[in-house]
Amino acid sequence: MVDDSASALHSIADFVRGYETDARLRGFRCQNCSLVTATWGLACSRCGEPKLEEFALSDRGRVVAFTVLSVPGEEFLNDAPYAYVVVDLDGGGRVTGWMPAVKADSDLSIGAPVRFVPGYKPGVQFAKLPPGEER
Amino acid sequence: MRETWVVGAASTRYGKMTESAREAATRVSMEAIRDAGLEPKQIGHTFVANCFGLAEHQAHVGPLINNGLGIPEVPSVTLESACSSSSAGLHEAFVHVAGGFADAALVVGAERLSHLDTLAATSYFSIAADYPFETKNGATFPGLYATLASAYRNAFRTTPEMFGSIAIKNHANAARNPHAHFQKEITMETYLASPMIASPLRLYDCCPFSDGAAAVVVAAKEVVHRPTAEPLVVRASARAGAVTDMQDRPDLLGLPSTRLAAAKAFRQARLEPKQIDFLEVHDCFTIAEVMALEDLGFFPQGTAAKESAEGTTARDGKLPVNPSGGLKAKGHPVSATGAGQVVEIFEQVNGRAKGREVPRTETALAHNVGATGGSCSVHIFSRR
Repeated sequence: MVDDSASALHSIADFVRGYETDARLRGFRCQNCSLVTATWGLACSRCGEPKLEEFALSDRGRVVAFTVLSVPGEEFLNDAPYAYVVVDLDGGGRVTGWMPAVKADSDLSIGAPVRFVPGYKPGVQFAKLPPGEER
Repeated sequence: MRETWVVGAASTRYGKMTESAREAATRVSMEAIRDAGLEPKQIGHTFVANCFGLAEHQAHVGPLINNGLGIPEVPSVTLESACSSSSAGLHEAFVHVAGGFADAALVVGAERLSHLDTLAATSYFSIAADYPFETKNGATFPGLYATLASAYRNAFRTTPEMFGSIAIKNHANAARNPHAHFQKEITMETYLASPMIASPLRLYDCCPFSDGAAAVVVAAKEVVHRPTAEPLVVRASARAGAVTDMQDRPDLLGLPSTRLAAAKAFRQARLEPKQIDFLEVHDCFTIAEVMALEDLGFFPQGTAAKESAEGTTARDGKLPVNPSGGLKAKGHPVSATGAGQVVEIFEQVNGRAKGREVPRTETALAHNVGATGGSCSVHIFSRR
């Protein structure tokens, strides 16, 4: 029997509610190996232990990889071009999301500081941090 | 385990099909069975891949294919492993035949998406990613591979021309392959002038949406008395999985499932990469061919793009890669792709790859990835 009693986030909908209405990035931390993840599951994807506890992810981080999409999927039809980004959050955890204001490669760089912003539509949305707001 | 052979193979031309995936699958299955010198009734189990069958309002297509082959009593199952669906089918067929549960098995993959517009086809592809955590956050299939390309180009010294050389090579091979979707060569100027789809991936870094069907027949050596073609001995049939989400991968510079499947396959085959004569690898994007060659152990990390630019992976190079034209230019009818790679190896070994022959055909490897690497198959073949 899987012991998921430590996990308060029982559904994917809990994560999505975080992005959409609670304005927070939810995550899990593995009590065994300390992996932090922003993906729903019942056991740790690194060590396999079913001991995940809820973990509040930081809303700030840095871009580790990105693309500017010219051909979007159905859900983002009117938003292209936009950036799809992989962000390493301060304090742990890696999250993917999109940046509507990034319209060209020259608008963003790897290493750039960004912050999570609650969006006008579903999904994890990031914005560039203004220079003065960097840590 | 019984020694298991690929004894027959057939494929449609990739591109735009007017007939349904079901019809094309049935047709290539009959051709592959006849190519093997067998009768349909000798098939003990059918493994079908038709990932996006719902786009044609058809599920449970296996029994329909078997009906069409005149063998409705034969069991079938449809497997889904995204772009690696039919190589997953080949693995299951191998397990059945090598394990003695069937003497011969049919593997067929088919896909038809050309009746959809680009937006609908892009959306179908993107549901093979993590829908709530990737697709709903802005990812498309090219977008996910573009993200990997971004990390790779940031980590290693490469040029756009190095990636262009992969597209040019694969188009040159496809131009000599009657099964290929694209049968024209391209130049570096064409490559560099093509529009960005998802930076840094240009149009000519990307495989097309193709329709197509491919089938192979595998059989136990002990029941094949007189092979009608030179069989491929299945030296290894290995699969592996890995964390699917980009956000759960500490390493964005390769696909862990390829590394795992390759390690298993080389161990099973008791071979090393330097003993492989030619490869069909999963190049849905040019970056995917680069990562495949490094993850499979053929080149050190960070060097495969340069090797391509220097001609090492050309048809007449030291290590021919994707003589068929690959997914990039032969085309990518999702569920047919894995079986289609084996069709190419079968044709090369049997002297049917006229105009695109590779110099040595004693051993070959097929590498097929599901989506962005959540699953991977590696098969190694040799002559008898």
